[in-house]
Amino acid sequence: MPKPRISWLSVLWLSSVMLLLAFTTLSAAPIKVGLVTDVGRVNDRSFNQSAWEGVELAKSNLGLGDRDIKYIETQDAKDYADNLAQFIEAEYQVIVTVGFALGDATVKAAKENPDTLFIGVDQYQGEALPNLAGLIFHEDQSGFLAGVLAAGMTKSGTIAAVLGTDLIPPVVAFNEGYIAGAKSVNPKINVISTYHPGEISQAFVDPEWGAATAKQAMDQGADVIFGAGGLTGNGALQEVASQKGVYCIGVDADQWFTVPAAHPCLISSAMKLITPAVADLIGQAQSGTFKGGNVFGAAGLAPFHDFDSAIPQPLKDMLISVKAGLDSGIIKTGYGN
Amino acid sequence: MAQANSKEPKNSQKRLFLGVLLIPFLALLTALIVGAVVMLAFGDDPILAYQGLFQGAFGSGRAWSVTIRKMIPFILTGLSVAVAFKAGLFNIGASGQFVMGSVCSVAIGIHFEGLPMIIHLPLSILSGMLGGMIWGAIPGLLKVTTGAHEVIVTIMMNYLASLFAGWTVYAGGTQGQTPGPLWDRTARAISETPDVFESAQIPWLFGPPYRVHYGVFLALIFVVLVWWLIYKTTIGFEIRTVGQNPKAARYAGIRVEKTVVLTMGLAGALAGLAGTIETLGLNHKFAPEFGGQVGFDGITVALLGQTHPFGVVIASFLFGALDAGAAKMQFESGVAADIIQVIQALVLAFVAAPLIIKALFRLRSSGDEEHATKLNTSWGGS
Amino acid sequence: MNFWSRTARISVCLTLIMMVMAILVEITPLGENPWMRVFFGVSALNLTLRAAIPLVLGALSGILCERSGIINIGIEGMMLAGAFAGFVAKSSTNDWPLYASLLYSVLVALGVGGLMGLLHGLFSIRFRMDQIISGTVIIILAAGLSSYLYDRDAISAGKFTPIPIPLLSEIPVIGPVLFDNAPITYLALILVFVVHFAIFHTRWGLRTRAVGEHPRAADTEGINVNRQRYVNTMMGGMLAGLAGGFLVLEAVGQFQEGMTAGRGFISLAAMIFGNWTPFGALGAATLFGYTQALQNEFLLAGVTTIPRQFVSMLPYIVTIVAVSGLVGRVRPPAAIGKPYDTEGSK
Repeated sequence: MPKPRISWLSVLWLSSVMLLLAFTTLSAAPIKVGLVTDVGRVNDRSFNQSAWEGVELAKSNLGLGDRDIKYIETQDAKDYADNLAQFIEAEYQVIVTVGFALGDATVKAAKENPDTLFIGVDQYQGEALPNLAGLIFHEDQSGFLAGVLAAGMTKSGTIAAVLGTDLIPPVVAFNEGYIAGAKSVNPKINVISTYHPGEISQAFVDPEWGAATAKQAMDQGADVIFGAGGLTGNGALQEVASQKGVYCIGVDADQWFTVPAAHPCLISSAMKLITPAVADLIGQAQSGTFKGGNVFGAAGLAPFHDFDSAIPQPLKDMLISVKAGLDSGIIKTGYGN
Repeated sequence: MAQANSKEPKNSQKRLFLGVLLIPFLALLTALIVGAVVMLAFGDDPILAYQGLFQGAFGSGRAWSVTIRKMIPFILTGLSVAVAFKAGLFNIGASGQFVMGSVCSVAIGIHFEGLPMIIHLPLSILSGMLGGMIWGAIPGLLKVTTGAHEVIVTIMMNYLASLFAGWTVYAGGTQGQTPGPLWDRTARAISETPDVFESAQIPWLFGPPYRVHYGVFLALIFVVLVWWLIYKTTIGFEIRTVGQNPKAARYAGIRVEKTVVLTMGLAGALAGLAGTIETLGLNHKFAPEFGGQVGFDGITVALLGQTHPFGVVIASFLFGALDAGAAKMQFESGVAADIIQVIQALVLAFVAAPLIIKALFRLRSSGDEEHATKLNTSWGGS
Repeated sequence: MNFWSRTARISVCLTLIMMVMAILVEITPLGENPWMRVFFGVSALNLTLRAAIPLVLGALSGILCERSGIINIGIEGMMLAGAFAGFVAKSSTNDWPLYASLLYSVLVALGVGGLMGLLHGLFSIRFRMDQIISGTVIIILAAGLSSYLYDRDAISAGKFTPIPIPLLSEIPVIGPVLFDNAPITYLALILVFVVHFAIFHTRWGLRTRAVGEHPRAADTEGINVNRQRYVNTMMGGMLAGLAGGFLVLEAVGQFQEGMTAGRGFISLAAMIFGNWTPFGALGAATLFGYTQALQNEFLLAGVTTIPRQFVSMLPYIVTIVAVSGLVGRVRPPAAIGKPYDTEGSK
């Protein structure tokens, strides 16, 4: 009788299709990505935000769902381990931790959970663990370019930098690069660079100090100011924007977009491209090509935007050749040796 | 108090007791409700939030351990503020005393390698308490000698403590500044101390992942000690009398100045102990991000607990739970932990002004506005 | 009043010395010495003024409240609330013409500050809450609400820029410091005179002081004690809100959680040090502002290897010294801190 045979076949056919489907969805199962910020928030217009945007970029690249990515904003440095534990318990496959200060907690968690993949932004790996990628950048090179730009644009012979704390190596790298770059153009240039005096938890969230220090530098003759320190630096940028005749340079991301109030003065930004780097690494985690150890992300100057015509062509050419020199290793910034 | 009718005192005592229990409970409840209204007004889901809060505080073994762990500093800073309140003093300096306690205990804990724990640990703890005590006594001293109000002095001392502590672990500057004395040279650029030696660490009751240490017992012991001191000793009597009526106290022969300094010192020691236990029990080292909100937390807990040591324990449990649940609350509902601060402020308001609760719930005024804590309400100096 | 004249005289003398030194440093070779530049350079003076403005406003706020008998330690919270409110107003009106947006935001800051003042009054007067606890509640509430409601994606597109006063701002050295500033700075300085005049030379001021010193007597004279206190506390709240508005709309251009950073407390110290008078408060605020400025000057000039933490301690130590009355006794209003009972005895 035809009926049972057809049902037999259809059952067989259906179940094999279902099995096939199950396998494909299993292997393409969306990974869950968690992010733990440093003390601070996800939209701090800087560091933490760039990393989170990397996660969001990965989400759209890889087609992850809204519920597959999540962040925890750390309130207190004591909670690093607990916050990481939340994601580990919830069985997230990839965990991004943002910032130098989370380094120790991340290494510990990576050792205790070899099946979870970790991305540590700005965390230099002394020993390479297979499941922990330390995403670091050549901030000194980015700063060097900013210094060259500043030295080329200054009329008063004095430039300044308003920085986060010198307890964080990347910030120091930016500054030393900046000074070196400026001096390479004009050895007699006067560089006023001031680090925030507070602790790590304060240094990047003090725009009032940033603004006051920028004003102070301007009172002392600076006409190009590099604002490098999260919200603190943003305060400096805004202060410079409210004065005439002074330029400012941003940091980390292209601050033309993140600090519109700085448009009147912002000629460029010394970038470290966290967002695409984080997205890439997450993509690697998904596809199984993740490698632990230190991973260098891209660094460079942001476009000049509205100031494009204000930058003299010879200076533009110099910047291009300096970049090439830095990339190839011919030019050295002198940092880290 | 005329005792003509033996029934009278019992009734009013019962009403007093009910008031003491009822008001804080109603205060918390009302605060949670108002908090929910605020969340709704701004597009958050209070049900989801409170669920997350509850889960984070009580939902698992690990959650309970976090609650208990968070409770410890609340108990001690709450005691610190409560003791000061008893003498009519307002100790906003708990966070500075906390930090000094932490630093001083670590100073001992990272040296003297090889000392047996039976000596090393108590020594470190005492050192921490001493640091806190000094930090509390100074504002007390200034108050009795110059009339400087302890509110401003303690707040300034908070900043000074945080700066001083930051210096001790300073990693050195790029402008040639020397690093701080307690800084861990192997920590590269991070400002922190090395780990405290094992002999100076408070042992675990339940180890990782629970991380509950014996400090919890130490805190409870001090609760009993403080209770005994305040209610069962002469010194405690003097403290309370000075708090209720300094003029009458002086008239009765109590040395008010000595009592004030003693009380502030005691308060400082307790807050210092809080810092010490957190450091020696949990972090095993000092890093500058320590401290923070503990000061205001202590005030809230002290008032919610009606400045009574046992009340402080209950209030600490509640606030420990709130604190523990905050991360999970954000995780589940996306509601930022700041709403907890709003709830905290509301609780404080409702507890400190029973009239509000009474008005809200149409309770009859029992005339016991003594619950509304009255402090030395002047800037002094006159 | 004798004491007040003394503080005022000292302040005026010190200010004149500063100005003379500043001119000398700018013009003569005295300016070659980095230490001279640190203490008397133009940037130090500018920083001093910038730091002093929120302190002055906060102190004026305190004076208004306390002169009528209400202790207000919640200035810090009112400042923060004003700052936050100003920011929200500004960032939601970015598409308005800049000045309209800024003015609107200032009004909002004033309004919210006034509301917080009203709340403090309500707690202290109607609900007889201990005034110090009430202030504490305001602080925690403002901190929690502003953090909770803060939308970090919101940005404010601009802030007040300096407006040079013609002629006056061309005076060498001193001109740009005093007469090339942004609106709220000018307003704050004007308010010092206004509040002084109001408190000491108007009937309203007389009523305020009466209520703060002898509320029972004022009551029998027909003055509504509690209403006077409500009004004063609200106005005090408005001034504190203005201080917050200054931070967001003039100094920084952004909101930052906890951006008041203790200024409310230092304002209280300025108020006490200035003996509850506006000019005294101005002098004290300038002194505290100067210590903050010096801090930054040391930092920038890199002239010292003293650990920066100790340099940062300067303003706080000076504050403690100031309130310890080591520079003379202070006398608060007599009836301060006690709720007024209209029925029955005090």
